[in-house]
Amino acid sequence: MQDVHSDSLVSGNSGGDGSPLVARLRKLLFRRMLVGVSDGRFFLGVFHCIDKQGNIILQDAVEYRSVRQSSSSPMEQRCLGLILIPARCRSSCHVECSIDEQMSLLSLNK
Amino acid sequence: MANHQGGGGGGAGGLIGHASLPPPIPAGDQTVWADAGPLIVASCSELQDGELIHAENFSLFAAMSALEIMDPKMDSGIENSGYHSIEEAIENNIAPVPLSLDSTLDVQCILDVIDHLFSCEATWHKGHSLAQTVFSCIYLLRIERTSPHSLLHSYCRIMRAICNALVSVVSDARTNEEEDLFAMAYALPLKGEGDEKCLSILNSVEETISRQLRACRAQSSRKKSLEDIEPLQRNPDLEEGYCRALLCRLRFRKHYFHVFMCMRKPHGKGLELARKHVALCLSELSYMSKSLEFLRSLPYGSFQDDIESSTTASGCKPIGFDASLNSTLSAPGPPRATHILSWKKAVGYFQKLLHDLDFVCSFNMEPVLEDVLHYVVQFQKLQPDLVARTHLQILLVQDGKLCGKDSFHDVISRALALPELTADKEFQKNEFIVQLGQLIVSLLKILCTNIAWQRRKLGKILQDWGVLSLQLEMAFKREFGDRLNVMVDENMCMKVSRRLLIWTDEHTYWIASRFLTLGFELELYSPNEYCMVYWYMYVVLMRLMEKMQMRIAINSETCKRKREKKKDHAKDPARDGSLSSSSLLIHCYICLCEGLAMMLAALHNESKAFQMRSPFNGEEERFSQHFDLLQKAHVPDHVSYYLFKESTVHARISGVVKHNYFREAQRITSSLKGSFAGDPNRMLELQQLEQVAEHNRIALNVINQVGADDPSLRVSFEFTHHPHFAMAVVKRS
Repeated sequence: MQDVHSDSLVSGNSGGDGSPLVARLRKLLFRRMLVGVSDGRFFLGVFHCIDKQGNIILQDAVEYRSVRQSSSSPMEQRCLGLILIPARCRSSCHVECSIDEQMSLLSLNK
Repeated sequence: MANHQGGGGGGAGGLIGHASLPPPIPAGDQTVWADAGPLIVASCSELQDGELIHAENFSLFAAMSALEIMDPKMDSGIENSGYHSIEEAIENNIAPVPLSLDSTLDVQCILDVIDHLFSCEATWHKGHSLAQTVFSCIYLLRIERTSPHSLLHSYCRIMRAICNALVSVVSDARTNEEEDLFAMAYALPLKGEGDEKCLSILNSVEETISRQLRACRAQSSRKKSLEDIEPLQRNPDLEEGYCRALLCRLRFRKHYFHVFMCMRKPHGKGLELARKHVALCLSELSYMSKSLEFLRSLPYGSFQDDIESSTTASGCKPIGFDASLNSTLSAPGPPRATHILSWKKAVGYFQKLLHDLDFVCSFNMEPVLEDVLHYVVQFQKLQPDLVARTHLQILLVQDGKLCGKDSFHDVISRALALPELTADKEFQKNEFIVQLGQLIVSLLKILCTNIAWQRRKLGKILQDWGVLSLQLEMAFKREFGDRLNVMVDENMCMKVSRRLLIWTDEHTYWIASRFLTLGFELELYSPNEYCMVYWYMYVVLMRLMEKMQMRIAINSETCKRKREKKKDHAKDPARDGSLSSSSLLIHCYICLCEGLAMMLAALHNESKAFQMRSPFNGEEERFSQHFDLLQKAHVPDHVSYYLFKESTVHARISGVVKHNYFREAQRITSSLKGSFAGDPNRMLELQQLEQVAEHNRIALNVINQVGADDPSLRVSFEFTHHPHFAMAVVKRS
């Protein structure tokens, strides 16, 4: 299955790869990512894929939801596995990194 | 630079992004959360259309199965009730205890809760998840809260005990392979301490209310009440109506609970009592229906939008329910739109369920396998739902024995008309007998599943039966080979293996014929395929009858010898009689199948009707699609598409008329009426078969007179009289 689309869909040799920004984003693959969505839930999983529209796929994702409406409420969690978070409902997105590398990894200035 | 404001650093807390709210989930030990939002926005804009950034292990196919967040059809965690948890809902007074401070309103609201739970239960049985139906009730989810309110508490307790009992019986029997939502109970609080006392709690509440009813009747007839009893609620005009409405609901629950408790008693010991409770349940159901008028006339509550499809008898919205609160518990199943059945439909459902359970309870616990198979098939004609089917199954196979009484080698030795083998240890340990016993168990279990699943599974186990009968045949050919030669004498050995082979073959064909007829009930065949299906049925039934007759011949031989020995005319001739009428009935099916197959083939040959002109697959492909499982199992041997073609290619209407298959079928049905007189189900079927035969005979004559090639002739087939045998309808345009 993988072979079929590795030619057509994968960014491999096509245009965007030349961009340093895309390369930097690619480096974040396999890192733990924490995505918040518009209804207040968070999803923590391994960054697996993203497309031009910003839809993100996470692997081994866990859902966190607060038990009450107040912001200080405790959270309950459950495992969901492979999830797709559409860009339109994403309200925040964080990746896990060491304190040293966060500057170089995420800065947009270069 | 658009990230990483400090948030506590290092371990717990981690670093957080600038614009978004701080993530409440701590990062790892030496790591921080850094906001990737701006990088994502910037990088994505540089991507090409359709381009993805992904890891090497990415597969588009796997990605397709990703759960889409915020999609109402996939994401069960989506926020939609306004409350984040049951506790929060309770704090907001969604499910107050008592339901109202006004005692009349309180009773009214409880009646609505009871009725809605009743509709929810029916919906659950019909295939929705427990979490989205019965356990959408907040009172049930936090049952301890209801303890100050004895009426509500007692009802919730027994409700929970019943749900728990049903979930456990269904998961034990595993009749629910396809209807798997039924037994999904995950994190629901199904069990609780003290649930075993639910009946006594309910009884005491019932006692109180019936005293209140007596008291209010005494008052209305101006007799002085002997006891000083506090009324159920404050309005004396409504007291009697409310008491009655509550009593029938509570009593229904009580008897309903008893039904299941009795049915689970081993060896069918509780069946008789269960039937009594079924009858009582049905009478309470009719009281419940009668209470509808009273409840609808009351000026309380806010009515549901569509009163006819209302989930309560009163038509009011119940309080204390929120299906979205525990929708996350229904994972891994995607959230489904659950439409709760209306209360009236729920009453209808429970009536049907109770009648089905009554049929199960009428089961005769001294069974002969043939009768059991016939019984299960009759039961499936009622189209019973999962709960009733499960209860039949646990009755049939208990502790690896038929009805919990007879081990399967007993059943087999009886079926072989060799009861002397029962005690024979070698016979019991024989490899074939053990295997055959297992095959019978799985056959019985499969026959209790829903018909779609059943057909699939029957097709699969045919192979096992086919293989076993092949092995038996080989062993037999090796002249009572080494497998069975441990028996007392060679003669016996020969007898056993021959009978075993015939019996196994007979049942293999029986399974095949059930497989084929279920196709009609599931509407799997198109009119263009009827010809091949009836032809195949004809072939299978012929073999079935052949084997049956061989068995009859052997049995009567044995009987004769026994009678000579003992001069005893006990049971066996009667058994033989019923066996030979069963084989005669199969002969009738054969006539109908052959008649229909030939008639369809003749129409195909002469008028070019019922031809397959599908651009996708031709006749031969359809043949193998329908009969693949039978062919793989060699049931019967040497049957192929070419044989089918060969035997139908020369069919002509005039020839079919001359053969008079339908006349023959009619003749058999009338001769069978005497022997089936005591069995209303079979009498009904005879009548249906007679009508089909009569109609088809006339239709055939009309076609013959008009000429099959007449372009104005229109022939279609309908199942108006019998579910498996089509009736030809002839029209001229």
